[in-house]
Amino acid sequence: MPALYSLAYRRLLPSRFAVVGTSRSDETDDGFREDMKQAVQRYARDEFRQDVWDELSGSMRYVAMDFDDDAAESTLDDVVTELDGQKQLGGNRVYYLAVPPPAFPTIVDALGKHRTERSGWTRLIVEKPFGHDLKSAQELTALLRQHFAENEIFRIDHYLGKETVQNMLALRFANGIFEPIWNRQFIDHVQITVAESIGIEGRAGYYEQAGAIRDIFQNHLLQLLALTAMEPPIDFTSESVRNEKVKVLKSLHTPGPKSVVRGQYGRGFVEGEEVPAYREEVGVASDSMTETFVAAKLYVDNWRWADTPFYVRMGKRLARRETTIAIQFKRAPHPPFEETAAEGLRPNVLLVHVQPDEGVSLAIGAKVPGQGMTIQTVHMDFLYGGAFRTGLPEAYERLILDTMLGDATLFTRNDEIDEQWLLVDAIVAQWQRDRPAFPNYAAGTWGPPSSEELLRRDGRSWRRH
Amino acid sequence: MASALSEWAGDDVRLADVDRAIARLRGQTAGKSGQPSLRTSVMTHMAWVPEPWIDKARAALSGMAERHPSRAILLFPEPNAGSDGIDAGVSLECYAVPGVDREVCSEVIELRLRGMRSKAPASIVEPLLISDLPVFLRWRGEPPWGSQELEQLVDVTDRLIVDSTEWDDLPYPYRNLATLFDRANTSDIAWARTSRWRTLLASLWPDIVTVGTVRVRGTQAQALLIVGWLRSRLERDDILLEHVQAERLEGIDLDGKPAPFPPGDPPIPSDVLSDELDRLGRDPVYEAAVLAALQ
Repeated sequence: MPALYSLAYRRLLPSRFAVVGTSRSDETDDGFREDMKQAVQRYARDEFRQDVWDELSGSMRYVAMDFDDDAAESTLDDVVTELDGQKQLGGNRVYYLAVPPPAFPTIVDALGKHRTERSGWTRLIVEKPFGHDLKSAQELTALLRQHFAENEIFRIDHYLGKETVQNMLALRFANGIFEPIWNRQFIDHVQITVAESIGIEGRAGYYEQAGAIRDIFQNHLLQLLALTAMEPPIDFTSESVRNEKVKVLKSLHTPGPKSVVRGQYGRGFVEGEEVPAYREEVGVASDSMTETFVAAKLYVDNWRWADTPFYVRMGKRLARRETTIAIQFKRAPHPPFEETAAEGLRPNVLLVHVQPDEGVSLAIGAKVPGQGMTIQTVHMDFLYGGAFRTGLPEAYERLILDTMLGDATLFTRNDEIDEQWLLVDAIVAQWQRDRPAFPNYAAGTWGPPSSEELLRRDGRSWRRH
Repeated sequence: MASALSEWAGDDVRLADVDRAIARLRGQTAGKSGQPSLRTSVMTHMAWVPEPWIDKARAALSGMAERHPSRAILLFPEPNAGSDGIDAGVSLECYAVPGVDREVCSEVIELRLRGMRSKAPASIVEPLLISDLPVFLRWRGEPPWGSQELEQLVDVTDRLIVDSTEWDDLPYPYRNLATLFDRANTSDIAWARTSRWRTLLASLWPDIVTVGTVRVRGTQAQALLIVGWLRSRLERDDILLEHVQAERLEGIDLDGKPAPFPPGDPPIPSDVLSDELDRLGRDPVYEAAVLAALQ
């Protein structure tokens, strides 16, 4: 709702527009509007303006229903049809499903059953998780395809709606200077970090089943990797971009057991406060083997990236909240300086901050002013806040708007999902063979020591901080 | 001339509040061009500042932004405060650069760590460190050797800066300091203050090779480091030290004869700290002097 409000605030919503909320909870239209108003006041990035809210909430309705109940389904359909007539919506509908996986088949069936002959388009936004493994993901796709065409299905991964993720495409393909060196000849390796300092925040039911590999690796992380490694698309249409991403996902070499590290956090400190171990979280089994951290060395087996490692890591309760893509370039072949002159010199790194502090930073060596020749690493920073006065839109704003416009470029296609699950299933299958000693890292650190070892044996190290 | 343009303060804050405050303050610095000021940093400069050192720490920091644009994080531990929590203050120190419309600004973050928050400082500062830039830690007073706060902060630090003049019971603390040499490059303000004198003593080569007794009028730290330096450089452990207490290094006698006085005035505290912030690598000469001072 905060995203819808921000769109309304900027007059990006059509004048003929209505919102219908539905869930099992009993609620009146007014009660629903009040809840949504509070959400907007608390979370929206824009100031609260009564006139904007009045316009948005004027056509807001709520239907309490259980999708197992045919009569309730008809009630929902009646309300939507009524609003359609009142507001002259032309039969256009966006269904946004943010529901637990077990509820999915029933709801999709119900929506499909009530698809009647009418004018206008229908689009279905589906939140992750897209299945639990390849098999369930394919079953989910088959279910969706019984009632909806692929171009009507918008699998949302909110990372793709982030400005900095899209800026990765701008950085690579709008600048002549990067793409010629964006390959194995000049890049030593790539590091992608998706770190959270929070724990599971009461979502034990979901997280115990998912773990870090399904929660982050399967979707956000592999999408970031695909955008980093993809070939230039011939244009920026949804099919062209997604065709290139899926090629990368198909090229990913299944890592062996020594190339994947998993961890689970024990007690530790975050922001100076002692936090419980994962196994002490409410709803988590005291002998849980669910991983809260994954690090891996991946290879993209193609002409551009052969033998260039992509080190990825993600996890809960890490030292800081940070999502970054770091492109580490090879060192200059022959620095003509004395060793001591360049001891403060680190390799060139192009760092894309996805969150927070969204922007791009390039680390280069520069001479320290003064006598002699001392080289030090300095940063050239591009920060959105420093270059543009326009605030960054929330990812969901962009993605909801794109759905209404029918642009699926920033959504995940079913073949991408399949490739992502293929890799995850292969890794998880290897995990069945051993039982690591969990917990193996303290909350508030950067993961288990084996994660450091993963790079150390290649003569590399994770970026600090 | 730098100026603190914008300020924000909050009690019982989360680090996300600090991040938001920094972003908001930066936005407020927009000039005529409508664009916020430039951010420039070459390091994160942390300081661990127990209560007695607060004024001195702030004074040393003053004017540092122009010479070493950095994100400064001042940590004020209050382990005996009645409650646990973090109180924060954020300001931007900005200065004009010739030929550039916008000012250049660096962030100064002050965190008061109350109660148990002072026992896990690395988990507090780590989210605030600027990615991929070196981290300097100025530890005010004698570090509580072996404590978790020291151990944690050393682990996230590239260079530890101490001033052994601030310590009691020398030379024994040097033994503890030496255990950190392999973990963080170390600078000592007391050592830096002997620099002019060491240059002068080196100019006395080769006569100085046979020196038997060195009499130093200065702080105990300076006296120990001077004689440690001579012992280690001359590879002699039989050089004796006579120490005469003084607030600053006032003179050195070699076998009863006064060494010439080095030219110029001693540097002011912020200049000494500034010089140490220019150093990135390990200082083997200092490390050897510390070990020799223990003999």
